[in-house]
Amino acid sequence: MSKTKALLAAALCVLPSLSSAKIQIVTTTEDLAALAREVGGGQVEAQTIAKGYEDPHFVQAKPSYLLKLKRADLFIQVGLELEVAWAGALLTSARNTNIIPGNPGFLDASESCEVLEKPQSVDRSLGDVHPLGNPHYWLDPANGRIIASRIAQRLEEIDSSHAAEYRSNLAAFEKRLNEKSREWALLAQPLKGLGVVTYHNSWPNFARRFGLRVVNFIEPRPGIPPSPAHVQSLEKQMAREKIALILVEPYFDDKLPRKIAEDTGAHLVILPPSVGAVPDIKTYFGLFDHDLKLILGALGKSAAKS
Amino acid sequence: MKPFLLLALFAVAAKAEEPAPSSRPPAPRAFGALQASNLLNPNISVIGWFQGEAGRRHSDPGVNLPPALDMKEAELGFQSIVDPYARADFFISVGREGVELEEGYIDWFHLPHDLALKVGKFRADFGKFNRTHPPETAFADRPLVHERFLGNEGLSGAGADLSWQVPNPWVLVTVDGEIINTPTAEESPFFDRARRRDLLYVAHASGYYDLSDAVNMTLGGSYAYGAAGQDYNAVALSSRTLSAQLGGLDLTLRWRNPRRSIYRSGFWQTEVLWGKRGAAGGSSVGTAGMFSHVEYQFARRWRAGARYDYTQMPADRSQHEEAGLAYLTFQPSEFTSISLQGRQARRFDGAKETLGFLKITFNIGPHGSHPF
Repeated sequence: MSKTKALLAAALCVLPSLSSAKIQIVTTTEDLAALAREVGGGQVEAQTIAKGYEDPHFVQAKPSYLLKLKRADLFIQVGLELEVAWAGALLTSARNTNIIPGNPGFLDASESCEVLEKPQSVDRSLGDVHPLGNPHYWLDPANGRIIASRIAQRLEEIDSSHAAEYRSNLAAFEKRLNEKSREWALLAQPLKGLGVVTYHNSWPNFARRFGLRVVNFIEPRPGIPPSPAHVQSLEKQMAREKIALILVEPYFDDKLPRKIAEDTGAHLVILPPSVGAVPDIKTYFGLFDHDLKLILGALGKSAAKS
Repeated sequence: MKPFLLLALFAVAAKAEEPAPSSRPPAPRAFGALQASNLLNPNISVIGWFQGEAGRRHSDPGVNLPPALDMKEAELGFQSIVDPYARADFFISVGREGVELEEGYIDWFHLPHDLALKVGKFRADFGKFNRTHPPETAFADRPLVHERFLGNEGLSGAGADLSWQVPNPWVLVTVDGEIINTPTAEESPFFDRARRRDLLYVAHASGYYDLSDAVNMTLGGSYAYGAAGQDYNAVALSSRTLSAQLGGLDLTLRWRNPRRSIYRSGFWQTEVLWGKRGAAGGSSVGTAGMFSHVEYQFARRWRAGARYDYTQMPADRSQHEEAGLAYLTFQPSEFTSISLQGRQARRFDGAKETLGFLKITFNIGPHGSHPF
């Protein structure tokens, strides 16, 4: 009996090490996982904690994520305190030295990226603001390029035997990104200068890249639900400035945005900010393809018309 | 556990867990407790807890009744990474009864073989509810079974906790073993430290499982063994330390649709405690109690909940108490909470007690981790 128990215990201990020999990557969001797959190719297995349809600010720090993190060779986070409510707690509980900050297995994707809206001073009267800047920076393909490059560098460091493959994957990704960027720029021509209202302040990088002008938010402050007074004032502003588009992230209730759209005659677009938010968006390229087509479709415009 | 064992374990850990060499300089950012606003200083946060109470409270002999309006507690938190191997957390409670170190410990969280070691003063890992700091619970009071068995502030003490995550790829199973000072009878009615060297041994095993993307379950079992005062033999002029054993089962079910995580959620937690406590003359008393708590978040800022309590008195199983509590909580933001609560209880002597509470909590400081 005791021999059986010993064998069972030994089997349990070695099971994790019997898993695939691929580099195990755990990312906080699906966007980072998608970029990691682009540059990691067949040498990596990338898993994510927050699904694309989840609000990345409010992910539950479920203990089951520790099972992923315990086996991770590389952990990649968006940073800028997007995951402040859950990622730190998971990292300290994962008991995996590889992925703590300062070690090669920890990568903050925001480093080197262009981050917008870094506040000079901050307090909670401004809502649940991010003191290090707006963390939705992956929504600019130029930052996607930087993130992919940083992931490739880190993979080369961790797994030098496949360095050439990572470099080659990165080159292929960058070539395709150049092509797609030209295509997206053409598609977005009709959007130049278009005023929009968004629910949360998730889109500054996207708006700047594709020429949109965010004039206001349905949330009066980040994380603060809208009051009737704010909605009234917003509707007045939309009427005055002839705002024709409302963008809402899929994890927010669309009841109020629909009413505002009805009141003002604006188009409402449920716009995914992440890969995996809807089944159609499977890659980083797919995210911009999908979002631009959705906006243009709602406005009844197309690249051909422009 | 012998002190040298702890030292040896740490020495091995420090050697084994040296940060891996990297060709690039260490990342300037730390994680968890550190944020940009205070770089190498610890995160400092304060939770304020104001409480109003209405109704006629049944008081135990010698226990002062709380005032109708009370700034019940200010809980100061200082949290930081200490070095590449450990983090430290301090929670200081300031209230009417003075200043008290509620918790203060160092946690070596990356020891070899999936172990972690915590040393200092901390809330015992007994059940699930006991670990939660009072201002952060959903309630203005504590469940009767916790009050009667573990005390008004819960079970805590100075000592060490060795935690092991059982390696397997399917279910997260964590086993904790703790040695802390046995609390005095004033602190925790079920136990009673008779001598300075009386220690409390606590074990807790819990398993976590995702039933689906939206539903998960935690099941835990706890055991505590310690002193329960002394039995004096006046004839033989001798005394012996009585012992007490306490067992517990906790079940927590959570539901939250990840697609609508900020609007709807559900929570159900039940804890059952049973104990056997030595009494004078070689006899013992077996007692039990439980509470069950259900909460539903029906809008982004609104939650409603209810709790049922039943407990026998630890020293006398013929007496028991029952209570029901209901509440409605409004959270203007992540950082404030306003809760109206009502509790009806039947006390051990048959007296009925109806109380109303207003619990307001507010916190300042950097955004911390959401409790799970």
